[in-house]
Order: sequence, then C-alpha cells, then structure tokens
Amino acid sequence: MIHMKDVSKIYEDNGAMALDHVSVDIGKGEFVFIVGASGAGKSTFIRMLFREVLPSSGVLEVNGRDVTKMAESEVPYLRRGLGVIFQDYRLLPDKTVYENVAFAMQVIEAPRRLIQRSVNSVLDVVGLREKYKAFPSQLSGGEQQRVAIARAIVNDPAIVIADEPTGNLDPETSWDIMDIFLRINKSGTTIVMATHDKTIVDTLRKRVIAIEDGHIVRDEARGVYGYEA
Amino acid sequence: MKLRTSEYFIREVLISLRRNNWMSFASVGTVAVSLFVLGVFMLLVLNMNRLASTLESQVQISVYFQDDIKDSVRDKVEEDILEMQGIESVKYVSKDEAMERLKERLGDQKYLLDALEEKNPLPDSLEVTVKMPEMVETAANAIVKMDGVEEAKYGQDVVEHLFDITRLMRIFGLALMVLLAGATLFIISNTIRLTVFARRKEIAIMKYVGATDWFIRWPFLLEGMVLGFIGGIIAALALRSFYAAMAAKIYSTLAFFPLMPQYPFMNYVSVAIIVSGMVIGTIGSTISLKRFLKV
Repeated sequence: MIHMKDVSKIYEDNGAMALDHVSVDIGKGEFVFIVGASGAGKSTFIRMLFREVLPSSGVLEVNGRDVTKMAESEVPYLRRGLGVIFQDYRLLPDKTVYENVAFAMQVIEAPRRLIQRSVNSVLDVVGLREKYKAFPSQLSGGEQQRVAIARAIVNDPAIVIADEPTGNLDPETSWDIMDIFLRINKSGTTIVMATHDKTIVDTLRKRVIAIEDGHIVRDEARGVYGYEA
Repeated sequence: MKLRTSEYFIREVLISLRRNNWMSFASVGTVAVSLFVLGVFMLLVLNMNRLASTLESQVQISVYFQDDIKDSVRDKVEEDILEMQGIESVKYVSKDEAMERLKERLGDQKYLLDALEEKNPLPDSLEVTVKMPEMVETAANAIVKMDGVEEAKYGQDVVEHLFDITRLMRIFGLALMVLLAGATLFIISNTIRLTVFARRKEIAIMKYVGATDWFIRWPFLLEGMVLGFIGGIIAALALRSFYAAMAAKIYSTLAFFPLMPQYPFMNYVSVAIIVSGMVIGTIGSTISLKRFLKV
C-alpha cells in the first residue's frame, strides 16, 4: 500500500531537513500509529502520503502510484483513493452534515443516486444518520470529527490517513472515534494515524512507527507509545 | 461536462455573486461603462468610415465657372464635357438656383444670408455625373483645364480628411480600449480574488478529496464570464438607446447623412459588445486564478 525508500525532505524556505532517508513499508489492512514529538517529522511523513508535501529525494509509492514522479494532473486521482482526516475537522460551516459528506462525492462527479446511498451508509457507520440536517456549529467536537471521518471514507478509500484525529477531544470521545477507526480497519482499509495519545496507543497495541529528528527510530508490530505522556 | 456538474457550477456561481454583491455590482458597472465607451467609439469609427466611403463612391463633380463669363463659353464647356468618355449627365445650375438651394439647406438659419443684401456671391455651376466612381478623378482633372472653368470639385479632399479623422479616432479609441480593458480586468480579477479567498477552505477540502483542478477552476471562470456578460448586456442596451437617440437627432438636422441603419447593424454591435464582456470577464478570472488559486 505504502512503499517509502530513502525518502528525504528538505524544506526549501528554511533549509530544514524534516525527513532524512526514511524507508518503510505499510501493507494492506494495517493499522499504524506514527508517534514522535512535535517537529520530529511526523507531520511531513503524513502529508507526503497524500502529496501535500513532495519528497526531495527517494521513492514513494502510495496505493500503487509513484508519488514522486506523478504529474500535477494525476494528484486528484491519487487522493480519490485516500481518506484524509485532520485534528481540526475542516468541515464547511454553511453546509449540513449530509452536504459536507456528499460534497466529497460531488466534486469527483459521482452519480447522484450513488451519492445518496453512500452518504447514508457512512453516516450509519459513524452514527450520525439522525443528525444529517444539522450544521457543524450545532455539533460537539466528537460529532464534528465523526462527520469528517464519514467524509473521508465515503469514496471508499484504500487508505485512511489521520493527523492527530483525537487531538482536540476528551478521552471518552476519543475512544468513540477510535472505535470507528477500528471498525473501518476491520473492513480492510489501511489506517495511518499520527497521534500524541499515549493511552490509545498503549491500549490498542498496533504497529507503532516512532520518528525522531527525521529518522525512524522504532518500528514495532505491537508497539507502545514509548514517551512520557 | 456532466449535467449535475453544470448544475453544481451554476449554483456555486449564484451563491458567490450574492456573497460578493458589492464587488459584483462594481465589476458589472465597470464592465458596462467601459464597454459602453468602447461601443460609442466603435459607432463613431464605423459611421465615419461609412460616410467616407459614401462620399468616395459619389460620382458627381461640381464644376464652378469663373465670374461673368459669356453664355457661349459656358455652353462650350457643357458640350465638351458631354463629349468626354464615361459621362452620364450634365446639369446646369444657375447662381440663383444655387442660392435657392443654399437657403433651403440653411433652413431656420437662412437669415444669415440677409447680410448679403441681394448680392449673390455664388457662381454658376454644372453638376456632372460620371458613370463610375473610378472615372471621377480623371474627368475632374480634364474639366478644370477647360476655358472659363474656375474649379472642379469632387468628394476626394473631404474623403481624405475624413479618413484622417477616422484614423486618429481609431488610435485614440484603441488607446482608450487598452486603458478601459485594463481597469476592467483589474476589478474583475479582484472580485474573483475575493471569491477565491471566501472559499479557500472549500477549495482545500476539494483538493483533499480529489477534485480535479479544472473542476475547482470552473465556477470561478464562470463567475467572471457571468459578470462580463451582464456588464456587456447593460452596455449593449445603453448603446442601442444612445444610437437610436443620436440617429433621431442627426436625421432631424442632416436628413441625408449616411448613418449606419440601426438594424441589423446594432444587433452585430450588441453581440460584439456582449462577447467582449464575456472575454474580458474570463480573462480577469484567469488572472486571479493564476495568482491566488494554487491548485
């Protein structure tokens, strides 16, 4: 699913080396936590996967596509195979729950009947079917993140990439969100999640990749967070 | 483009026009004013061209006699002209007749002639019509050499003057056009920039979920096009009433002035104006997209 070989990233504006010859493989259906201090290169790692950041050197393949050699015009098609979730939800405030999720299908010109069916079904997955008419401002943080997850999975992506999805949520709500991720993962979707949440990582015992100063310092199959919370 | 996609685009454009109503209004206004001024120049240039070519195609030469010549000389000139090749007709106009015509032409202002106190300064003349416009110059040159002939005038000098003026107006119009087009582009691209700014979150999300660049660009291009289109329509309507009013005014004073008839001429002008509006609008949004929409 994800193949990274000798990937480095140097930011041109300040010359900082965010990733230094990183190699890693992530297979289909895996659930991977990316951990590390702020500024260690976690965010760069995550953002490279959906080609928001382009590697300076090395080979990066995501979902069978060569990200480094890809033409600009192919990027949208790479992203259609990925679902991206952020800490700050990034919902459109003037659209309802339903519209926020449907939006992801409209802009890739999916057939209308398919949109209706898929949106209803993912709203069931995240448990927000009844609130489909609500606006984001009428929802709690956890509910907003669930809408964002619904939007990320509505196009049935092979990989879900989440950048600190529980960062703004209280522990109980975080577990609700993790529960959804586990269910998505069970259906065969690969999940790559950057997180600072020690309890979640230590409890779930999934694969953990730790990044420090641009290097992968640890890659364990049933890992733990390994830092003080 | 798929039907539901067009629906989506149209809805997006309407939302955006409403959201930026003041900027949209300003854009439409600028487009309308600019295109109206352009249109006025277009009308002027086209009409002057027409006037010039009408005069150029005139086959008449006015032959003025010297003062106090004998009737025999005059008759001789008339006969000689009739014997020339390519002459259609020759008509004698006495000085009294010429005076009558002048009074008629002056209309309300014929009191100006009172100053002459019954003295008639106008010469006797012949109106010579040739068969083809190309022959006018040769014929006039031959006639002016005849005895008793003071002058043989035809449209040429007027035509040349008119062409000079038209050329100047074209240059001036072009400069003005560049200036106005620049202003219009500026304000349209600013409007679109506001739209892009207002929707930057939406654009970011569209990119994350894999919308193509063109899918993202289209609503903005359409918005610019619509702004230009509306401005163009307003300018075209204003130009039509302007031309109708001007035509009425000109015909009431100069009945024989060869104005371009309003139909279908004004339809072509309207189409040209509206199309220019759309083109300017589209270019304006393209500029903005290049600068502010990193997709």
